Amino acid sequence: MATQQDLEDFTTQVTPPADFDDFWSGTLEQLSQISLKPVITAEPLRSNDDAHVFDVTYLSLGGLEVSAWYSVPTQGDGPFPAILNLPGYKSEPPVRRDWAKKGVAVLSVSVRGKLRSSAEFNPGYPGLLTSGLESKENYGYRGVISDCVRGVDFLRSRPEIDPERIYACGSSQGGGLTLITSALRPEIKAGVAGYPFLCCFPEAMTMFRSYPYDELACYARAYPEEGERMLETLRYFDAVNFAPKITCPMVVGIALDDEVCPPETSYAAYRALTGHKELWLFPNSGHGNAHDYPAQEREWLSVQIGLETAVS
Amino acid sequence: MVVGSDWTGNGGLVTTSSDRFWQETEAALAEFPVDVRINRDDFYSQPDWDVFQMRYTSADGFRLCAWLSVPKGRGPFPAIVRMPDYGSVHDIVYTPLREQAVVMNPTYRGQRNSDQVFQAQYPGLLTEGIAAPESYVMRRVFADILRGIDALSVQAEAQLQNIALIGSGLGGALALAGAARRRSVHAVAANTPIALGNPISLMPGLGYPLAELNDYLRLYPTRREAVVQNTEELDVLKIAEKITVPVLLSVGINDTNSCPLAFGEELAAKIPDCDLRVYHGAAEGGGHEHAQIQTSWLANKLGIG
Repeated sequence: MATQQDLEDFTTQVTPPADFDDFWSGTLEQLSQISLKPVITAEPLRSNDDAHVFDVTYLSLGGLEVSAWYSVPTQGDGPFPAILNLPGYKSEPPVRRDWAKKGVAVLSVSVRGKLRSSAEFNPGYPGLLTSGLESKENYGYRGVISDCVRGVDFLRSRPEIDPERIYACGSSQGGGLTLITSALRPEIKAGVAGYPFLCCFPEAMTMFRSYPYDELACYARAYPEEGERMLETLRYFDAVNFAPKITCPMVVGIALDDEVCPPETSYAAYRALTGHKELWLFPNSGHGNAHDYPAQEREWLSVQIGLETAVS
Repeated sequence: MVVGSDWTGNGGLVTTSSDRFWQETEAALAEFPVDVRINRDDFYSQPDWDVFQMRYTSADGFRLCAWLSVPKGRGPFPAIVRMPDYGSVHDIVYTPLREQAVVMNPTYRGQRNSDQVFQAQYPGLLTEGIAAPESYVMRRVFADILRGIDALSVQAEAQLQNIALIGSGLGGALALAGAARRRSVHAVAANTPIALGNPISLMPGLGYPLAELNDYLRLYPTRREAVVQNTEELDVLKIAEKITVPVLLSVGINDTNSCPLAFGEELAAKIPDCDLRVYHGAAEGGGHEHAQIQTSWLANKLGIG
């Protein structure tokens, strides 16, 4: 099990490339030229007394259609605060009805490559982490991150949502995407990044032999001549390079026995945060299974949103 | 090569609807040869183990995919079959024991790489075709898993010793079913096996995936009887007494998604050789503490480590 001292002693070679800001401002500009074209379809099978659930699609980078589950409280007229729920690497995004009872809407994004967003981009799992690694423009995560950014656009386009009260959360890949999206979209007012993936790629790919990071090690072994170019591409997508740009309150949750996302690498992202930040350390816990994490996430977000009590 | 059941429970006698279901499942499997094709995956193979993609045929002629890893060196090796949970992706092999054991991660129909004919949705699969037994996909999911064990038994890349089945959620139930139906299995480690088919699965207030059943009944209240009838044979309680191998079972006292505590305790009471671990404070059983216990338990049962 990693100790807090291990976390503090860890150093990463990750630094932002000189054109990091230009690359992402260019991507955001490219996104802004694409009409959102949202389509919202009621899902009576998933709706209940607390939540109207909708199957949503919108257009993202490259004009690709992205799906999401959108849960809106049945009670009250709004505008409602909203949570952008960002997905893990291989899991399908959940239908989040649990916040509706407290008057909070949730958009659970199915980024490209997921089942309902895979018609035009489907590298598979394993596969996504190495898809398009040959260049920053073609790397799959440029689209994945754009899909999350567009989730903010979708929420801000909705009359039932309060555009000043948008929050973000997610675990594993969703944790990394929470950090990155919050850096790119200051409209996000607070976020919780659990067990964040996408941190310190050069070190993470060598510390364990578990997937998804091991996909990068496989790539480097298969294409040794491409190793340097791979690492150069990854600099543009490393959450550590996004962290200093986050202005909203942010939590990073770390399991000290995490066997998928090395705790040291997640801590490096936390350390790079310059705004209000909190660190939750979970000893004797592995990736995604800290017993107290879900309740803490609910409590903390409830406070940020301004709810009187946490969602049970 | 045709591989069928090597375990007929009551000496082949059909005495209950559960017996009939399993006999029909075995008959459906017997209609198609396993037809295992196996290819080394050069990209994902490691210095210490080779990774293969297996393909084989299940009931209705469905071609299924599995990841297989084989340690470098001379066998035979013990084998661990990690049953798939409820989700579209089943991992490429990962376990700290993969340097000493063959590891197979089989998929069921509709999961990625086994979705040429039918693509499962999440949520959605748990009620896909549930109005009639012949269309209810989950009944065939259990067949697919038996066929995965058959495919492992006949593949030629690795000589096998003892076989252990592991899994969580749906994978936990599939592991128990596999042990009840295949004598080649020597041990099972099941975490929070899904209570699908048990009356407790229809309780209000459950979380996903079991909540899919209540979603369905809210929209189609007149189909309640059909839901009960078409799922009840998948209740692993009905075959628990036929599991003769050691079972390590984990449950959580607050589990409302997969294996409510009462179901887990009843299951443990029916399995003849069951080591039940109940975790307090856990929304679902297992977690990190149990993962370590399970690894040691498996190593012991398989004679490695």
